[in-house]
Amino acid sequence: MKTILSIQRLSKRYGKIQAIKDLSLKVEQGQIFGILGPNGSGKTTTLSILLDLIKSDQGSFEWFGEPAHYELRKRIGSVIESPNFYPYLSAATNLRLVAAIKESGADDIDRVLQLTGLEQRKDTKFKTFSFGMKQRLAIASALLGKPDVLILDEPTNGLDPQGIVQIRELIMMIAREGTTILLASHLLDEVQKICTHVAVLSKGIKLFDGKVSEVLAVSDSFELAGDDMEKLLKVIREHPAYQSHQVNNSFIQVYFKEKVLPGALNNWLFSQGVILSHLSERKRSLEQHFLELLQNNQ
Amino acid sequence: MIRLLKIEWTKIKTYKVFWILSGLYFVFLALGIIMAEFMINNMIDNMNKHLPIPVPHVNIYFFPEVWQNITFFASIRYVLLFPAILVIILITNEFTHKTIRQNVVNGLSKTEFLLSKLYMILLISIIITVFVTISALIIGISHTSDITAGMVTDKLVFIPGFFITILTIMLYAFFFGFIFRNTGLSIALFTLYTLIIEPVFYYFLKSPLVFKNDISTYLPVNAVLRVTEYPAIPVLKKMMGLNLQDTVTMGAALIPLLYATLMVAIVFRTLIKKDL
Repeated sequence: MKTILSIQRLSKRYGKIQAIKDLSLKVEQGQIFGILGPNGSGKTTTLSILLDLIKSDQGSFEWFGEPAHYELRKRIGSVIESPNFYPYLSAATNLRLVAAIKESGADDIDRVLQLTGLEQRKDTKFKTFSFGMKQRLAIASALLGKPDVLILDEPTNGLDPQGIVQIRELIMMIAREGTTILLASHLLDEVQKICTHVAVLSKGIKLFDGKVSEVLAVSDSFELAGDDMEKLLKVIREHPAYQSHQVNNSFIQVYFKEKVLPGALNNWLFSQGVILSHLSERKRSLEQHFLELLQNNQ
Repeated sequence: MIRLLKIEWTKIKTYKVFWILSGLYFVFLALGIIMAEFMINNMIDNMNKHLPIPVPHVNIYFFPEVWQNITFFASIRYVLLFPAILVIILITNEFTHKTIRQNVVNGLSKTEFLLSKLYMILLISIIITVFVTISALIIGISHTSDITAGMVTDKLVFIPGFFITILTIMLYAFFFGFIFRNTGLSIALFTLYTLIIEPVFYYFLKSPLVFKNDISTYLPVNAVLRVTEYPAIPVLKKMMGLNLQDTVTMGAALIPLLYATLMVAIVFRTLIKKDL
């Protein structure tokens, strides 16, 4: 598989604040790679460095296996922060400008306007657009010239529920066509629904990265009780997938690093000489899990 | 270069403010050129009310003096402000709307961005110079009898001189726009500097109490204005006994160019170093 982006030990500091620290990542072709983290975790800083808006203090990165160069940015479509366009120019003129910069030919403009549902408004000045339309124009501009990679920074931020669904469907559709996508979001739900891979960022440090199904899907915990609680507590820590536990009144709550089936768990405990009197699987909400991921690493 | 100019052209082609300001500028420029003689003669009439021997009316539109006179009137401080403010607006807009970031994200290098603005300034300078040249040519032809080629080409040096004036004042504006980044602030500071701050300095430096050698002429805006410093009006020259200029000297043209080069270099250094 071709590596689209590789980041080596990137660091950036703003005065006292360490925006990102020693960040290394690799994005392969065809992935929908999510950068997940709360506000202020360094997502936008990372993307800004990758797009040459900000200089990093240390570290390096490569696009398409080549050291960063402005020509390479023409193969990247980006939506960064708020949509930035010339308010006094029409949607179509704004896109013509982007096409001229990207040297991608203006014949693609109608296609991206249609994809984003803006073809009716293409001759309207940008400043008259609603926020949702502005965001859609930003995505249209990112899609111009069929880029190899799409960078989306909080693409659904500030949109109404209908707009969010539309944008997400659009992203999935583009991904199906084989475009690699790098998406930053503070919404776990969004990353879980859209992405194939994820890196979790907190205070500029990467906590995890991997497949979404591996990093985020382990959302289960078990309530366990046995006749010999002390032995249960001792044995459960030795389980290969053990992550953490809490002792409650009549049972212990156990969290695992990966998916564990209740039958297999019971079987394993039995083989270790523990007989359970209570076993109950508890589904955690994704948000809860995300917060745990962050808390466990502070 | 063509690609960068095309990008700039797309930015301004449907930008109303640009066309309104440009239109106003050319109207004022044309009016100024046409009215210059009338205004001078009007002044003479006023003067004559207090003089025992009246000064005759002047004619400033004949070859070769028309080159010097028209470029002089076209480069009065207040007239130069127009294109300068235009440049400031076009540059600071990019910061106000954060489109400079978007341009860079989309694949324009910072150097290309700066070059696109410089090319645009160069093109506008050429257009204004051509406008002034054609105006002077038409006026000169209609006001000169028995024209010879020599009369037309003599003093033609004021045209490249004017080009340097208009180019450098816009490069100063380029500097103000990129350094202050805010439209209102840049325009206010540029106007204040050109109309008030530098003239105050000018008279301060001129007074013999401050420096023995008069260095007032080396102030940046004054250096621009000095390229075409005086009109050529023979009668007044004789009467007032002033030693007025009759050509554009290399020295006078080089000083504003040096300033402008320095300013452009500073802009390149800071923009390429700084985060956007």
